[in-house]
Amino acid sequence: MSAFYFTNLVLIQATMTGLLLALSVQVPLRMGVFSFAGAGAYGIGCYAGAILVLDYEMGAIPTIVLTCIGTGLVVLVLGILIQRLNGLYLAMATVAFCLIISVIAINGGTLTGGSTGRYGVISDFTMGGMFAITGVVLLLVALSERGKLGRRVDAVREDPELAASMGINVRRYRLTAFAVSGVLGGAAGAMNILVRSAVSPLDIGFPLIVLALTMIIVGGSLSWKGAVVGALIFTWLPDVLAVVGQWQELIYGVIVALAAVLLPRGLYGIYVDTKRGVQRKRRESRAAEKPQPPAGEPASVPAGRLEMEAQS
Amino acid sequence: MQDVLSVISLGSIYLLFALGMSLTWGTIDILNFSHGSIFMFSTFTAYLALGSGALPFVAVVAIAVLVGAALSVAIQVLAFEQIIKRARTKKNAEMQILIGGIGIAIIPLAIAQHHTKSNPFGLRDSSFVVDTWLVGDLRITNIAAMTAVIAVALWAALSVWLRRSRHGLALRAIGVDAEVAALMGVDRRKLALGTMAVSGGLAGLAGVLFTFSLGAITPESGDTLLVKAFAVIILGGVGSMLGVAFGAFFLAACEVWVLTQTSGSWVEAVSFGLIFLVLLVRPAGVFGRKEVRRT
Repeated sequence: MSAFYFTNLVLIQATMTGLLLALSVQVPLRMGVFSFAGAGAYGIGCYAGAILVLDYEMGAIPTIVLTCIGTGLVVLVLGILIQRLNGLYLAMATVAFCLIISVIAINGGTLTGGSTGRYGVISDFTMGGMFAITGVVLLLVALSERGKLGRRVDAVREDPELAASMGINVRRYRLTAFAVSGVLGGAAGAMNILVRSAVSPLDIGFPLIVLALTMIIVGGSLSWKGAVVGALIFTWLPDVLAVVGQWQELIYGVIVALAAVLLPRGLYGIYVDTKRGVQRKRRESRAAEKPQPPAGEPASVPAGRLEMEAQS
Repeated sequence: MQDVLSVISLGSIYLLFALGMSLTWGTIDILNFSHGSIFMFSTFTAYLALGSGALPFVAVVAIAVLVGAALSVAIQVLAFEQIIKRARTKKNAEMQILIGGIGIAIIPLAIAQHHTKSNPFGLRDSSFVVDTWLVGDLRITNIAAMTAVIAVALWAALSVWLRRSRHGLALRAIGVDAEVAALMGVDRRKLALGTMAVSGGLAGLAGVLFTFSLGAITPESGDTLLVKAFAVIILGGVGSMLGVAFGAFFLAACEVWVLTQTSGSWVEAVSFGLIFLVLLVRPAGVFGRKEVRRT
């Protein structure tokens, strides 16, 4: 186990940063906001982490905290600016935001290191810290999918007008989605630079957007579990596909295209659907097998409840 | 004055490329993210065909146009139609089409990268030779002149066709309300396939002309152009023919201006900046009408 851990340390780290990156796109998506601003925040996070550690000699934890606050604010301001937009237009405005960041990175002079980027970012960041941050983020995101908050988020996504008429402040929820995606993206970027110690303009921009998107599309966009599945697949797949060598990219494209066509709800969506289907079948067959109990006996109560469940 | 010529030749490439994208987006609601890949791959096929012998200009163009159209139709049938069939809402379908397009775009790109080892490829082996004419102290290449004429002519023809012909009317009807158009006897599937074929053909044509005028392109050139075409369409307004032409030449003018003013590395930011600015100030684009309410 520990041998596996140490030989695959880089992939384990990449899984965690990839997961946070995927979540930074998924959380807004779950509120019906089709925004890639999280990928932009990731780019800012990488460079901010490098600059804070190299130029200001900060420790790992203050670097991550400062970066998250900064990217959260930047993306929140972006959200306020473009809150009128919807759907594809919103998506493209945030894509433009991400691409502008990579152009700024190329032109940033000594601060961003131009097209070579910044390297040699060594800090006191530990794997324990990385696991802790990822765990806390997962816990918070999972909590936001449950109970009252989860239902409100669902309402904001499925029918904003209805949600507004129920007294939910849709605007505030959507702006929160921007801020959260900024923080998540920033955290992913800062963690990435702290473990990988180098960043260049090639690491950010459009490929990053594609990566985040494929993770949640293949995994499933409606739950954090989908993001986990997607992050696992797309971090470890290239390693497995290394056997296939040069055709790795091609297979990657085929997988994404197939997922977009065949699995609109992702692997996690398929799992949920199958589970529900199996449960329903089992209930139906159980209800059919059971002999009709005589009226008035208490046994009829659970049978009736089962039937109602089967219908719902 | 030489700058004006650069604007015109760059703008006509943008126009040809964006025309196809705008056509499918404005009418059958398909924002095709594999358009850039089709552009690159049709040129790549022409490049491969030239390996077997020198072909005249017309043959090279024909190959690229046909390959572009065929690819486009195949993508429509294999991917976009399936997505639309399965999607529960229009919003879902839009998103899946976007993602599917991104995924599909990787496939031809990977093939071309594998073949060329990501090196630039050109159409040098054709019997067509790029000539430079000197008019006064202006330098014009024959390919730039030809591109400008073809782009403007095709744009005009397409605009008139959309405005005046029966098929154009049907196509615009789909853009306004697909359901009602179907009730009125419009064969949506056939028109959609036709539109995709035209769009892919335009991408192939743009690819060949662009490659002739630049000398060579890399497999990744399509992606760069894709973002620019997007800026062009957003700038002018989705579905507006006048808008595409305005957007193409305006973007080209901005880029040439930035190029002459700075060291050049900021040029890439122009299109993104314009997308952002236009969406902020006037999301419907300069010539866009208010979005038609579709229920």
